[in-house]
Amino acid sequence: MGIAESVSEGRRLAVERPGVGVLAVVLLYLVVDLLVKLSGTTVLAYGIPLVGGSLSTGSLLSMLLDGLLVGLAVGLAGIGLSMTYSILDFANFAHGDTVTAGAFLGWVAASLTATAGADAALSERFLFDAGRQLGAASALLPILVGLVAAAVGTVGVVLLIDRLTYRPMRGADNISLLIASIGVALALRYLIAFVFGTQTSGVASSSVRFQILPGLAVTDNELALLFVSASLMVGVHLLLQRTKLGKAMRAMADNEDLARVTGIPTERVVRFTWILGGALAGVGGYLLVLESGTISFNFGWIRLLLIFAAVIVGGIGSIYGAMAGGVLIGLVDSLALIWLPSGLTRAAAFAVLIVVLLLRPSGIFGGVSTA
Amino acid sequence: MSQQASRSTAVTLPDPAESLLAVRDLDAGYGDLQVLDGVDMDVGDGEYVVIVGPNGAGKSTVMKSVFGLTTYMGGSVTFDGREISKRRPDEIIHEGIGYVPQNENVFGSLSVRENLEMGAYILDDVPEAQIEAVYDRFPILEERSTQTAGTLSGGQQQMLAMGRALMLDPDLLLLDEPSAGLAPDLVEEMFDRIDGINEDGTAVMMVEQNAKEALRRCDRGYVLVQGRNRYQDTGETLLADQDVRQEFLGG
Repeated sequence: MGIAESVSEGRRLAVERPGVGVLAVVLLYLVVDLLVKLSGTTVLAYGIPLVGGSLSTGSLLSMLLDGLLVGLAVGLAGIGLSMTYSILDFANFAHGDTVTAGAFLGWVAASLTATAGADAALSERFLFDAGRQLGAASALLPILVGLVAAAVGTVGVVLLIDRLTYRPMRGADNISLLIASIGVALALRYLIAFVFGTQTSGVASSSVRFQILPGLAVTDNELALLFVSASLMVGVHLLLQRTKLGKAMRAMADNEDLARVTGIPTERVVRFTWILGGALAGVGGYLLVLESGTISFNFGWIRLLLIFAAVIVGGIGSIYGAMAGGVLIGLVDSLALIWLPSGLTRAAAFAVLIVVLLLRPSGIFGGVSTA
Repeated sequence: MSQQASRSTAVTLPDPAESLLAVRDLDAGYGDLQVLDGVDMDVGDGEYVVIVGPNGAGKSTVMKSVFGLTTYMGGSVTFDGREISKRRPDEIIHEGIGYVPQNENVFGSLSVRENLEMGAYILDDVPEAQIEAVYDRFPILEERSTQTAGTLSGGQQQMLAMGRALMLDPDLLLLDEPSAGLAPDLVEEMFDRIDGINEDGTAVMMVEQNAKEALRRCDRGYVLVQGRNRYQDTGETLLADQDVRQEFLGG
């Protein structure tokens, strides 16, 4: 394509979709500003800094890493939300508290394993106020036990909730299910608060730092998060594409009535959806705590909006969308620190959500492939 | 052309044990709405039966009722000597009935091959031989096996839907308007395919808008009006009957 054609193409786009043009200008400004910042100079216009400032390559890279890490955990937690949306057909507001439940179950198990044999009262080993902090390198076994417990325990919680709440309502309209899920969310959250209290406890801290590049270090806990979440995502991909059950899940997400007349045992697929979504939510919560170091009774609830944003950006119902959306939202949340005070980065994540929805109303992966 | 088709009221019904599928005095509908009012129907082993009638007569409802997709309100459905009127679709599939719905009858985001695999979900292993048999019958599906079903043309999707229903080698295939939405030149081809399936020994029960062509090809036909049997006879006789032609086949 010649330059003249590109220009006229650009002009046509600017006229027909002015929003895209504005967005392109904003992005261009941010990229230029970022480059100038990296060079360490500031361009002033009438004494007001126009572009630039100071930002080291190292801190940019560690922001990228942070964003990627949070994004992977959010994406992992989002898979379950997206699956219940596409297969069970409702927005599960209890998902955030399922994430919390998984984190608490996992860290209780990790804490119990770490203090096994120690001469301490069970309540002291069980609760998080002892100031004990675990890292993947120094306490690998407890961390692994916690990971498995987070997955298995959350599956138990989720199946129990399904049995008690959603199964009696199967076939109810999705608004009733949504409202029921808000009830489940509250019950779960305050049950956790009742047992563990409402304070924020530090439970994890890294013990080893690996210097990858000058200015960029990664801790053992971050590596654990990276490894576990990436391999689980690959695992989910293989499950959906290669196994009979995974294909049936995609078929059911596609067309539930047809799945039923085709002879797919839909109730079994539903149960498996809860199992898989629950396990991933639990692991996601556990890993978020591993990364941030602290746990509190409502951290999943607070992150639910971010998880929803990730799932919607990716295209709700799409599992690959949840993964991609999680990483995108995580990166935006982290990179926004370059321009915004830390209290406003969440707003940037939602601004990106709005922009994506304006450009692609069904999300990045929406309408491409359901599962 | 003055042959007289049999009024359903004047027909003695065969013993249900002698038919592959025997529907007797069936009342069924959706929720509180009753659509079928005492329908009787039979399909013999390897027989090709067509149901015609005006819109809203309950043609599709008969097939959905056989397949356990409606609200049962009375009467009986026997297949191969077993009562199936209160069974679920996934149980009825085990008995040897395949059903091809009219609309949205393929999993659009799954590949062609995965669609066929889903048709044999109740088996422990993917029946490669049966997939080959379906590919032999519909070679285009083999060509497109890795493509997602949503990208197929209407006619190809219809073939895939039939292929999926044939994956368990059913004794009876229920087809709901297989020619709906197809281009005219494809309609003929679709009927030929159905003839082929029937000639290989699968009994067919079909609802079809394209009534004349369907009646020309079938063994027997039923005319259904307002949820009740009106006429039943061989396809030829129904086509030749003055009243049937004028009332239901547009002269």
